[in-house]
Amino acid sequence: MTTSHSTGGQPAPAAVKILIAGGFGVGKTTLVGAVSEVAPLRTEEYLTRASVGVDDLAGIDQKDTTTVALDFGRITVSPELVVYLFGTPGQERFWFMWNDLVNGALGGVVIADTRRLESSFASIDFFESRDIPFVVAINCFHGLNTRSPAEIRAALDLDPQVPMLVGDVRERLFGRDVLLALVDHLMSLPMPSPAPVG
Amino acid sequence: MTRYWAEEDEGEEDDDGAGTMVRPYTITRGRTAPERDDLTLITVLTTTHQELDEYGRPFRPGGRGLQPEHRVILERCRRPAAVAEVAADLDLPVSVTKILLGDLVAQGLLLARAPLSVARAAGGADLGLLTAVREGLRRL
Repeated sequence: MTTSHSTGGQPAPAAVKILIAGGFGVGKTTLVGAVSEVAPLRTEEYLTRASVGVDDLAGIDQKDTTTVALDFGRITVSPELVVYLFGTPGQERFWFMWNDLVNGALGGVVIADTRRLESSFASIDFFESRDIPFVVAINCFHGLNTRSPAEIRAALDLDPQVPMLVGDVRERLFGRDVLLALVDHLMSLPMPSPAPVG
Repeated sequence: MTRYWAEEDEGEEDDDGAGTMVRPYTITRGRTAPERDDLTLITVLTTTHQELDEYGRPFRPGGRGLQPEHRVILERCRRPAAVAEVAADLDLPVSVTKILLGDLVAQGLLLARAPLSVARAAGGADLGLLTAVREGLRRL
């Protein structure tokens, strides 16, 4: 690591990130906005042939560039610690190009809509395959929840230990509870060997 | 190592694609890859009070010139900001922003703080960090 550390300048807070995933239009940016201390910010990245091996481009237009937008927010936990929340691009098939996005994430939240649970399958598979701990937030902002939590859990084929919450992602307190559930889940996991921090 | 599109494209031309590439990468003087690869989306950058080069020596104004975007970044990072925030504020793609940030870090004008190591593969987050995050979230 060649990154400079503070040599007398204003101390920078340490940063961690949490990924907010789920199918297109399921409420990712809404949840980010509900808990972020700033209105969700948007940035873009080019997906280029330079960023991946050519073999990995199957299914993507033979254009040199595609842009993927990324919405994110922040929660200042303390002067020393900031949590960034990143809504992931809706099309998970692009995620392999976003190593920077998923590397080093504390954990993830998968938002699912009971009317089309299948749109969030890919996000669940993605976190499971990358060994990124996650919780599931069932968004029922229409107040329509015709399925029981047990039915939803079965439909998503969730491991029993993965927490699942049902609520309205527009509500700050629900967003907070989802993030707290993720932290509690992380704390409950078997502790890996300690790693140096920083 | 600075790379150029000519090398990546190996002679293939795509006029439509090239059109969208030109403007942002003009800001970087044609560079499409950062000289340092340790800047992540949440690397936090802070403008230094003392202008030091990467070896800690006082910055010499005779070094590489700064572009307007560099100066905007230095102004923005008086308050610590993550790479993603700088990119959003400048309305530039992340990859372009990283190149500009790399210039400033190399010249000692910005300090970069790497994210905390929390990936489970690397040992995971420690309990103290999780407790701190939990406390902060409870105040939301």
